[in-house]
Amino acid sequence: MSAERLRLAGATVAVTADRGGRIAAVVIAFGWHFLVNVPGIASGWTEYRVPWASAAGWVLFVVVGVLATARLFYGFAVPVFPLLAVLLIVDALVIAVTTDAEFFSAANWAWGTIGWFALLLLYDRGIAALVAVLVANAMLGLVGVVAASPDGDGAVDLSRFVMYVYGTGVLPIALVAAMGVLRETALSTAASEAARAALESERLGAAHAQRERQDRLGIVSEAAGALLHDLATGRADPADLDVQRACALAAAQLRRLIAESDDVPDPLLHELRACVDVAERQGVPVDLIAVGELPELDVAIRRRLAEPLAATLATARDWARVTVVAQPDEVVVSLTTPATAGPAKESHSWPMDGVVDYWYERDEELVWTQTRWRAV
Amino acid sequence: MDADTVASGMTYGSGGARVSVAIVDDHPVVLEGVRSWLAADPRLLVVATGDNVDAVLAAGPANVILLDLRLHGKMAIDKVSELSAAGQRVVVYSEHHEPATILAVLDAGAVAFLAKHEGRDHCVETVLAAAADRPYVTPALAGAMVGDRRSTRPSLSDKEREALLLWFQSMSKASVAKRMQISEHTVKQYVDRARIKYARAGRPAATKSALLARAIEDGLIRPEEIGTYRSYASTDRPLP
Repeated sequence: MSAERLRLAGATVAVTADRGGRIAAVVIAFGWHFLVNVPGIASGWTEYRVPWASAAGWVLFVVVGVLATARLFYGFAVPVFPLLAVLLIVDALVIAVTTDAEFFSAANWAWGTIGWFALLLLYDRGIAALVAVLVANAMLGLVGVVAASPDGDGAVDLSRFVMYVYGTGVLPIALVAAMGVLRETALSTAASEAARAALESERLGAAHAQRERQDRLGIVSEAAGALLHDLATGRADPADLDVQRACALAAAQLRRLIAESDDVPDPLLHELRACVDVAERQGVPVDLIAVGELPELDVAIRRRLAEPLAATLATARDWARVTVVAQPDEVVVSLTTPATAGPAKESHSWPMDGVVDYWYERDEELVWTQTRWRAV
Repeated sequence: MDADTVASGMTYGSGGARVSVAIVDDHPVVLEGVRSWLAADPRLLVVATGDNVDAVLAAGPANVILLDLRLHGKMAIDKVSELSAAGQRVVVYSEHHEPATILAVLDAGAVAFLAKHEGRDHCVETVLAAAADRPYVTPALAGAMVGDRRSTRPSLSDKEREALLLWFQSMSKASVAKRMQISEHTVKQYVDRARIKYARAGRPAATKSALLARAIEDGLIRPEEIGTYRSYASTDRPLP
């Protein structure tokens, strides 16, 4: 599996894992805005210098929040920095319209909530931008605190300010950091899992190919092994006509088995050509004519179609004619050759179980062999 | 792979007149070879040879034209249609024996198709049969007909298909007859009937009509077997 595909696999998993974080951010932001800020505004309504400004600011926050959610979940392009500016302006506005006494109450809602809405806008932009917004928020708050208590109480207010800023700032930052770690872990886990799966499937594929090769080797040994052994030990005499026929047959089988593992568009024709080739090398002119389009056939069926013909073809003399008539539901292969060919000797009898039928006829002039496959 | 021994016993042409043959091929070797094959037969007379159809025909009328399908690199199938529409009997002679080509040639109106490897006996018998508007089917042609899967193909009976298949597999007519347990004459009939059905199908041509007429005359095929049957009760038939 290529590095590119592994990375893509990891990316999709990371995006799915990230979804939880996005949902959490949206729920917290809107939850806080509705459940805490609304009662806060309501309770401080009479205390505001300009109450409608606070309400308008609340509505603006909702608008920005909705736009940010659309960007998070549906990928709409929204102008992030202008919206951040809107948030900060509303923040300043609400601080300005809150009376000094209400500074640290829920009526001064904006500077505690801006962190979460800024998070919605800056979700996948890293911590730096978020920290910058929170620092700007803290500056506005500091100005507000200093303006709100020009006399004595300064130290207390300042310490309350610091606690407030820390409390409202650290949670969004924590969420961003946690989601970052989660995404990284998801990415690396997915990538290593994909790599492991790819390795496993390669191993299985190699094992399968190995098994097939061993099957073929078994057949080949059966076909040629005994004959070669006899020839080598001198028990079979090469001058004997029967031995020659057996050799030709074994050669045809080997050629055909080798041809089976080739990747060609018409495998049956390829295998028949391999059998024909053996006869041609012995000086027999062979016509191989195919008509029609061959359907996809199993290796086992192709063997049953070609094998009986190979046996007769190996013993052909003078001339031979091999024809294939192919239809989507029926394939007929035939061999015609003069009767000077040897007797039919099927050294490998495949069970013709009605899927492939076999005919053999012989008269004074001709030997005719036909195999037929019919779709069930 | 024997030629049609049954057919050679029949007389062709009118009385003792020899059949005039023109040969068109762009290979001089082939021209000379075929000419010597045909000239050896007393029933045939080679009147003109050449590599251009119009020039050869201008030399004089011929009962049968033996036409090479590939002349100077181009396939001459439209030439076949042209000649057949004018009633000139064409026997197409080609090294291309793909089924699609053969069927296209039949559709264009050629009287017979001969593959170049099919030898002298088939050649002579084909020309003689073509001159008499009788069908003659060689193994290559039989293969094209039996492997035809087009939706416009004529419907052949099982016996006709079996005869075509066995003839394509190039058993001798005698072996086909023994295999199907019928006489050799019946085998030839089945094969010829299949050929006639192809003359009925496709575009009309004067030569196709001649083949059909001769086949009905000979009793090879009945008119209702190849015509479209319309019931007397059909609503658009004029009342008697």
